[in-house]
Amino acid sequence: MTIIHNRPLDDIAETAPTIAGNAFTRAFSGGSLWRLIGMLVLILILGFLTIYPLAMLLYGSLHSTPPGMAGEFNLNGYRSIMTTQNLIVLANTIGISLAKTIPSLTIAVFLAWIVARTDTPFRGTLEVLITLPFFIPPILTAMAWGMLANPQVGVINMVWRWLTGGTDPLVNIYSYGGVIWHMCQYSIPFLFLFMVDAFRAMDPSLEESSRMCGASRWTTFRKITLLLMLPVLTSSFMLSFIKGIETFESALFFGLPAGIKVITTDIYESINHRATPDYQYATSLSFAIMGLMFLLVIWQWWMLRGKSFQTVTGKGFRPSVMELGPWRWVTFAFCVLFFFVTVVLPIGQLMLGSFFRFFGFYTYDMLTLEHYRSVFANSEFWRAVRNTMMLGLLGATATMALGAIVAYISVRTRWRGRNLIDSMAWLPWMMPGMVLGVGFLWAFAMLPGPIPIYGTIWALLLAYIALGTPVSVRVMTGAYHQLSYDLEECSRVHGASWFQTMWRIMVALAWPAFAVGWVLTFFGIMRELSASILLYSVGSETLAVVLMKLWANGNAEQVSVIGLMMMLLVIVFRWVQLSFIKARISKL
Amino acid sequence: MASVTLENVSRMYGAITAVDNVNLKIKSGEFVTLLGPSGCGKTTTLRMVAGLEKNTGGRIAIGDNVVSDSEKGYFVPSERRRLGMVFQSYAIWPHMTVFDNVAYPLRIRRRPDKEIQDRVMNALRLVEMEQYAERPSPALSGGQQQRVAIARALVFEPEVLLLDEPLSNLDARLRTQMGDDFRALQQRLKITALYVTHDQAEAMALSDRVVVMHGGRILQVGAPEEIYRRPENRQVAAFFGTPNLLNATVKDCRPNGGQYYKLSVEGQGWSGDCHAATEMPKGADVTVMVRPENLHVRDAGQVNGDLSWSGEVSQAIFRGSHRSIMVKTPAQTLHVEASSLSNVDIGRPVTVAAPVEAAWAVRN
Repeated sequence: MTIIHNRPLDDIAETAPTIAGNAFTRAFSGGSLWRLIGMLVLILILGFLTIYPLAMLLYGSLHSTPPGMAGEFNLNGYRSIMTTQNLIVLANTIGISLAKTIPSLTIAVFLAWIVARTDTPFRGTLEVLITLPFFIPPILTAMAWGMLANPQVGVINMVWRWLTGGTDPLVNIYSYGGVIWHMCQYSIPFLFLFMVDAFRAMDPSLEESSRMCGASRWTTFRKITLLLMLPVLTSSFMLSFIKGIETFESALFFGLPAGIKVITTDIYESINHRATPDYQYATSLSFAIMGLMFLLVIWQWWMLRGKSFQTVTGKGFRPSVMELGPWRWVTFAFCVLFFFVTVVLPIGQLMLGSFFRFFGFYTYDMLTLEHYRSVFANSEFWRAVRNTMMLGLLGATATMALGAIVAYISVRTRWRGRNLIDSMAWLPWMMPGMVLGVGFLWAFAMLPGPIPIYGTIWALLLAYIALGTPVSVRVMTGAYHQLSYDLEECSRVHGASWFQTMWRIMVALAWPAFAVGWVLTFFGIMRELSASILLYSVGSETLAVVLMKLWANGNAEQVSVIGLMMMLLVIVFRWVQLSFIKARISKL
Repeated sequence: MASVTLENVSRMYGAITAVDNVNLKIKSGEFVTLLGPSGCGKTTTLRMVAGLEKNTGGRIAIGDNVVSDSEKGYFVPSERRRLGMVFQSYAIWPHMTVFDNVAYPLRIRRRPDKEIQDRVMNALRLVEMEQYAERPSPALSGGQQQRVAIARALVFEPEVLLLDEPLSNLDARLRTQMGDDFRALQQRLKITALYVTHDQAEAMALSDRVVVMHGGRILQVGAPEEIYRRPENRQVAAFFGTPNLLNATVKDCRPNGGQYYKLSVEGQGWSGDCHAATEMPKGADVTVMVRPENLHVRDAGQVNGDLSWSGEVSQAIFRGSHRSIMVKTPAQTLHVEASSLSNVDIGRPVTVAAPVEAAWAVRN
């Protein structure tokens, strides 16, 4: 260690007082120039990732020509989105989101209750299976369901016709119902993950004391359990509703063919599917939807203000588990059915599709491996694999590092400006991927010449980091909150500098959360479609974009092959995460 | 081991004064306890000595070295103050074994492995935890964690040992035992220790001197017995246990021959003699403090003490080790701690008496 710079009482009076230590310790222990510079750099990075695209969105919505071209400023964009047709789009968006949120929340509550509060057999395994669909990229299940429930050649309808002898299809995925059904498959596991710990961590004595006061089981559920859960239910509802408005894939695959438009697909269409892309229209619409999201987020915040999310004291108690008797096999079957419908069916369809020459013609003589061969021989496919992997690894690492730093500063320090960076990091939360994509489209195009980000893979990387930052900050904030300040201070008192404490105590204790967040972000990047589809160009395609292109060309068989491999990757990653990271966390 | 000096130390949080002009000198090898209710500024004072908070006024020195001087803007960060500290939560790092936890201060200082091994095992032996060295630390009980925290604080022979309510998370029986063990260890190693607690019994049993704090100020500093028997004011008197505090007027005051004064006082329906620290004029209003355990219940009319009150028993509660008796007198209800064998009937007229040494008067 460094020499102790303490000085005798009298010595101090004469010499000019200076703070001992090297520049780095000074920078991060007391207030100083270095800390200021560090904060400025952080503010610049976050500003570039969030404020800049936002500002460019406003700029673009007022600008009459596409990015990078000379034009004039006018309000034509806003004028052009004020149509009755767009009112229908808005009504569709909100209606579909509501229609999927309510059944999803009901089912998710039921599943969470089954897993956390009943004696249903194999609850641990069921929990893993129920949450699996959340990690599968929606584009995969969308394509699988497009094949499963296609009104003409879908497997479900073929089986139905064979069973009944009729000619009418049982289900048609290209409908409102189809869009909602596909969205539900993601909402349910997402809401389940969000709520299950609240169910599990509830202090059973709160319910038991109600029973002791003479309330029946049902009254207790209504007056105690449900009301205690109300904050978490409300926030789940809002979150699911907001996510529903942001969804792109479901409406793209099942809504557009049936003429059902929502805001995200409308933005996409006006840029990609018109003879001349109408950037001003798309940007104005993006800015308008962001206004809507802003209002929703404010409403959410207002509704939940002052409400505690915690029904837990942090003590480890076993939740009271309800004994269901023979009914526990019914709840078990329900969970298995959910897993079967959301995972087994789509995977089965992809397998089926990948081995037959033509999708829809499932006879013995049509069996082939040619799709595997053509996919593996496809250089575009390999490039997309490389791109996706690189974006995933780099993006997840950068996002988590940024999140870890922002969360540390906003949670554990009293530095000036910590609230600013916290709000900046949170901004993308109310920007759907599509909107952020449009914003970055403008942002990169408006950069001065020597910074050629536009059209490169770095454009995608920056967009992914921006999209992932709110979640990574949230994850790391939670992790830091759980670590008592004493652990840090104790290290300082016993002789460790700020950096030593950071490395030996904070990083060492927070890394499991970091790893969990990393995997989440990685999955997020792998599934991302809405921003990628606006920002990719030749050479920087991701797997999701390649899938999208193949699907548009009607190449469902090769889609199945790629989809199957992505599915495999998801399952392997999830398995590693569960068996490795969970084991490390439980050791701590 | 070093002394600790606090000169006019203050700490403001905005407009709120948490610690107000504290002056304190802790001698080398002395065990000093900061005692007071929560929010009295005792923990803030300790944290300022540790360097975890900056004092906004005054200066702090450890040994001959100033570690913080607010006027000069001089501040030595925690890690260079060479202190050991035991936190209320113990702050045992959950990702390390017992050995790693204790070795931490040495590893930070880049000591050779051999030395680390020896000193850690010595420290663990001191707290009788050497057989747990390789245990992962979350697998320890509260008492064991506390011992590890002490070993870690002692391992590199710090200048001063700071302890922030280290016993408050233990159950009652363990608390007494750990306290006694720790006091023995401190006396053996002659460590300078600054200890924070809100538990008066703990403070008295462990300390050489007790510092009673309230509202960010020091009310009194002194040996435990001094503070318990001869408080400087009513607040300090009321802080220990549940003493009987009686209002009275001074009739006469004369030197006792020793360092105290002997007063004759008169209250409502009673009169007698007691001691006081300072000379008081006739007619002054004083509070006379008598501890419940020094009062005796006698049959009515039987007087042979220096102070006595007559009244009747209004309540008697058996508490195992003693019996709490409430006697209603014209002045006020007196609380008496009598032997648990003594049998008293409620409503019986009695006389309550106390020897002159047990009655202590402070100015109102």
